[in-house]
Amino acid sequence: MRVPLSWLREYVDVQQTPEQLAERLTLLGMEVKGIETWGADWRSVVVGELLTVEKHPYADRLHLTTVNIGSGEPLHIVCGAHNIAPGQRVPVALPGAVLPGERRIERTEKMGIASEGMLCSGDELHITADAEGILILPPGTPLGRQLSDLYGDIVLDVDVKPNRGDALCLIGLAREVAAATGAAVRWPEISVSEAGGPVGDRLKVEVRDSELCTRFVGRWISDAKIGPSPDTIQMRLQAAGMRPVSNVVDASNYVMLELGKPTHTFDGSAVRDGTIIVRLAAAGEKLETLDHVWRELTPDTLIIADPRGPIGIAGVMGGADSEITAATTEIAIESAIFDPVSIRRTGHRFALRSEASLRFEKGQEFRLARIGADRVAQLTLAWAGGSCARGRVDTAPTEPGSPRLAFRPARVGKLLGAEIQTAEQRDLLSRVGIATEPAPAGSRIQVAVEPKPLEIDPGAEEVLLAVVPTWRRDLEIEADVAEEVARVRGYETTPSHLPDTLMPAYRPSPAIVRDAVRQTLAGAGLTEAVTHALVAPADEARLQWPDDQGLSIAQPAAGAVIAVTNPLSSQHSVLRQHIVASLLAVLALNERQGREDVAIFEIGKGYGRVGDAPREWTRLALLLSGNAEPAAWNRPARPYDLDDAKGILEMICRRLHLPAPSYVPDNRGFPFHPGRALAAEAGSDGESITGRVAELHPDALEMWELRAQRVIVAELAIRGLDGATVRRIRVEPIARFPVVERDLAVIVNEGRTAAEVEATIVRHGGGLLRGQRLFDLYRGLPLVAEEKSLAYRLVFGADDRTLTEAEIDAAVAAVRSGLEIDLGAHIRS
Amino acid sequence: MDFESLSTDLRSLQARALEEIAATADPAALDALQIQYLGKKGDLTAVLRGIGALPADDRPRVGAIANEVGEAVRGALATRGTELRAQVQTLRLAAEKVDVTLPGRPVARGALHPIPETIAAIAEVFGQFGFVTYEGPEVEDDLTNFQMLNIAPDHPARDLWDTLYVDIPGHLLRTHTSPGQIRVMQSTKPPIRVLLPGRCFRYEAVDASHAFEFFQVEGLMVDEGTSMADLKGLLDECAHALFGPRKTRFRPGYYPFTEPSVAFDVECVVCGGVGCPACSKSGWMTILGAGMVHPVVLQYGGIDPERYQGFAFGMGVERISNLRHAVPDLRYYLENDLRFLEQFR
Repeated sequence: MRVPLSWLREYVDVQQTPEQLAERLTLLGMEVKGIETWGADWRSVVVGELLTVEKHPYADRLHLTTVNIGSGEPLHIVCGAHNIAPGQRVPVALPGAVLPGERRIERTEKMGIASEGMLCSGDELHITADAEGILILPPGTPLGRQLSDLYGDIVLDVDVKPNRGDALCLIGLAREVAAATGAAVRWPEISVSEAGGPVGDRLKVEVRDSELCTRFVGRWISDAKIGPSPDTIQMRLQAAGMRPVSNVVDASNYVMLELGKPTHTFDGSAVRDGTIIVRLAAAGEKLETLDHVWRELTPDTLIIADPRGPIGIAGVMGGADSEITAATTEIAIESAIFDPVSIRRTGHRFALRSEASLRFEKGQEFRLARIGADRVAQLTLAWAGGSCARGRVDTAPTEPGSPRLAFRPARVGKLLGAEIQTAEQRDLLSRVGIATEPAPAGSRIQVAVEPKPLEIDPGAEEVLLAVVPTWRRDLEIEADVAEEVARVRGYETTPSHLPDTLMPAYRPSPAIVRDAVRQTLAGAGLTEAVTHALVAPADEARLQWPDDQGLSIAQPAAGAVIAVTNPLSSQHSVLRQHIVASLLAVLALNERQGREDVAIFEIGKGYGRVGDAPREWTRLALLLSGNAEPAAWNRPARPYDLDDAKGILEMICRRLHLPAPSYVPDNRGFPFHPGRALAAEAGSDGESITGRVAELHPDALEMWELRAQRVIVAELAIRGLDGATVRRIRVEPIARFPVVERDLAVIVNEGRTAAEVEATIVRHGGGLLRGQRLFDLYRGLPLVAEEKSLAYRLVFGADDRTLTEAEIDAAVAAVRSGLEIDLGAHIRS
Repeated sequence: MDFESLSTDLRSLQARALEEIAATADPAALDALQIQYLGKKGDLTAVLRGIGALPADDRPRVGAIANEVGEAVRGALATRGTELRAQVQTLRLAAEKVDVTLPGRPVARGALHPIPETIAAIAEVFGQFGFVTYEGPEVEDDLTNFQMLNIAPDHPARDLWDTLYVDIPGHLLRTHTSPGQIRVMQSTKPPIRVLLPGRCFRYEAVDASHAFEFFQVEGLMVDEGTSMADLKGLLDECAHALFGPRKTRFRPGYYPFTEPSVAFDVECVVCGGVGCPACSKSGWMTILGAGMVHPVVLQYGGIDPERYQGFAFGMGVERISNLRHAVPDLRYYLENDLRFLEQFR
């Protein structure tokens, strides 16, 4: 809320500088977000006196004026307005002036005649709403003075929290200033001179739904004359961020800002039979609202109607038909209290959130209905004349007193962690208008209201009753009293110490496996990305990543895509199921910056739904593009290929102390290179790791408009990424007897995979085979075209003896014959 | 052959050998000299063959001379050998000289993203005080995200969270990590000290200081007598760890799920509290919101609010990271321009 300091001072004395006041209010919970110097954007605008006003010789609609600005020669200024006459004092923008909206004023020529500045309208200065005429200043306004010296103000931008609707007005903030400084709050003198007949002769009000409209106070003014409000009032409204409209509408707005009471003024002649009915709309009813939009009213919309039909949406916006116009003389004033939830829903339904509806939503002090009606009537009479009918229409004249809220001063201290004497607490509360009194025996403490009311018998503890001011609708439970004590006392007095209570049991961090993988990958040269979970449906669909890779343990099925029903844009409207597409977008972005070597990974979530049950899972995705080893003065470049991705995966397995992964060709084609894609698994049935590692199909690269010729990607489900510990290492005793190595070159047909050869070696290796490692892959002479040679180093050993040559020969022979029989291989050794 | 001539031969052999050894520049030639003079068929052996013709008295004398000669030649060979090896080594080392000021062979090192790293830094601080980490779902239900946190449907406070809804009835993308409070309280008993980091979502147009996806770390502590002073003490430690020694303060705030509610400010990390544009001239920067858990929330969590009390706080991970690393624009985080990320290597 924008608070012009000059206006605030009407209700409370302020001795502090604006900065000091802002600090005090902020520390009291009314955060001042900004201090604006109102009028700071009137630079080089001074007060001048019109000496002469003559017709422009070449343009009918322009005037030539001479203006005395208190010093120097009079200025010659060309002006298009018609409300000017010699002797008037007016704002003059001198050459070099800058007006609101960064409008620069220079010496110009208008229709052949030089103009040494500009006379300003109220609108051009954002001071009043009048854009037609020049702003005419009072006769005594000192010549030559900067306008900002005379009309400038300081405006505080106060962030009033949603629970403090009572402070969303000048009186409310004056109360907070008073609490902070000890000054007294001055209410405006509110009195209405009632010269007309009884109000009942003019206005009848029928509330048909007294739950949604708990009170309706009406007043009636006759013979008003619509026109602009006084300039000073317009300036105030402008400074507070509200555009002046007319004296009657301004009166209503003024009261909303002053007291926090939204009211509405109707053209009385448009209220048929002088009868206002507050009811729910009937199906099919329509209303043209003030913004000249026809709106279909729904049966849960509370409306203001006359006997013929709707004339306003209660608390949200009036109807165009009953709007105050220049011809209006009869005025019906509505000052009502509506159900906050109903107003909020209606505002949302019609996408109409007004200053008025925002205040209704937060709830209204009951007595404000009466006070607001009186104040609007008083100001209307003052600014628009007319006579006010005697009395008010009031559907609920009985105003409730202050509720009492029991609290234990000791409890307040326990919550805040500070011992605060009861007397001090009472004194602090009194500063925000909360009186305290001894609690009668048997008083119970309201600890909570929801989900079930919790009332406590305080036993022997000291209990006080807080007398809650009628405007404080936010004080309901004991903790609310504690907050008042704390904020008035000042949170800077909160002691600071470390907890000395019991510690909870150990629980491993859910990030242990994740962090192990992250550190490993960073060490391998990959940079971590964090991308959006919300993606474009097209990106999600067009990659066609196989979605059969749920990790069998604890990994939920992917299910259907979850869509956002109110997305910000189609680019971010569904929750992703795979991460690789996001990494491709990151590659594309970096390629546009001229980066060619990109190695990135992300550990992120995928999302899906099975029926109405949402599912989330965590995956590792990685992308390699460009060079694994960029060229350096001491080494040639080496591009990334599939083996790098597999090597990284194998390193992850080692880091997590998992078995080495196994690979099965995946030759589905798109999105993969048909000959360079695989399904990887580690652990039996992929219980530890499962996923795909692949070079992408060139068509996929084209889809993402990538420059890279080859892009290697992987997406892997890894056990523990969403919370587990790394498998413990169990040490194998160091072999006491030497092992023996034998090399074997296995020549097989091209159709045989390395995985098959290795599996065959293991199958026939017997108990003495300790390991095998591929150390060479050879094609070419003397092999025939369809053959390749895989050279393995086999390691044999036993725990309890040194192997004899005969034993080793037998084991190698078993492997050889196994390979020959099972795979049709022949062996060179 | 007499003693004199034999000993003369031996002496001249020695002189010749020493001369040749001294003249040798090549280790292989030195080996040849060894064989030539000291080998079984070498010169020394050849000379000594004449020893049998000497009188028995002279033989030991000649033997002694022959030993001396042998020793002298062997010694010269060894010394020269050492000299030559040293020369060869010196030459090799000289030839192997490199320009040591050249850069090394690049070893790739990736960068870790500042968001998870900042979360880890926060978790490290609170971990020292017994806070354990939980993670909750990002697709939340309205009940847990709002209602159990004392934000009824149609409550004006809902305006504080512009929400993205999903096509599962009653579900939304969590607007904060606070629903994790409910999930933790419902599944564990006090004493509770937990951190809840994670991704959150809001209906928010993107600019330098707004994002529709962002990260928070929630903290929750509940026990008998846990107070605002405990909260202040822990947050002071956290601020110290993350930003170095700085003044801190509480000021009033508002959250429906805490009562009382506070904002936690640290002395501006840019100007040190003097006042600058970064802190809106206030000298303070707000780094998180906090408060004492509202009794309504405790009740929804199945905890008796008369017996237990506690605090909760929630901090924006990007906010903390911005302040620690002087990141000027929120969009940097999810854009993943390597020129940004690689600065964290």
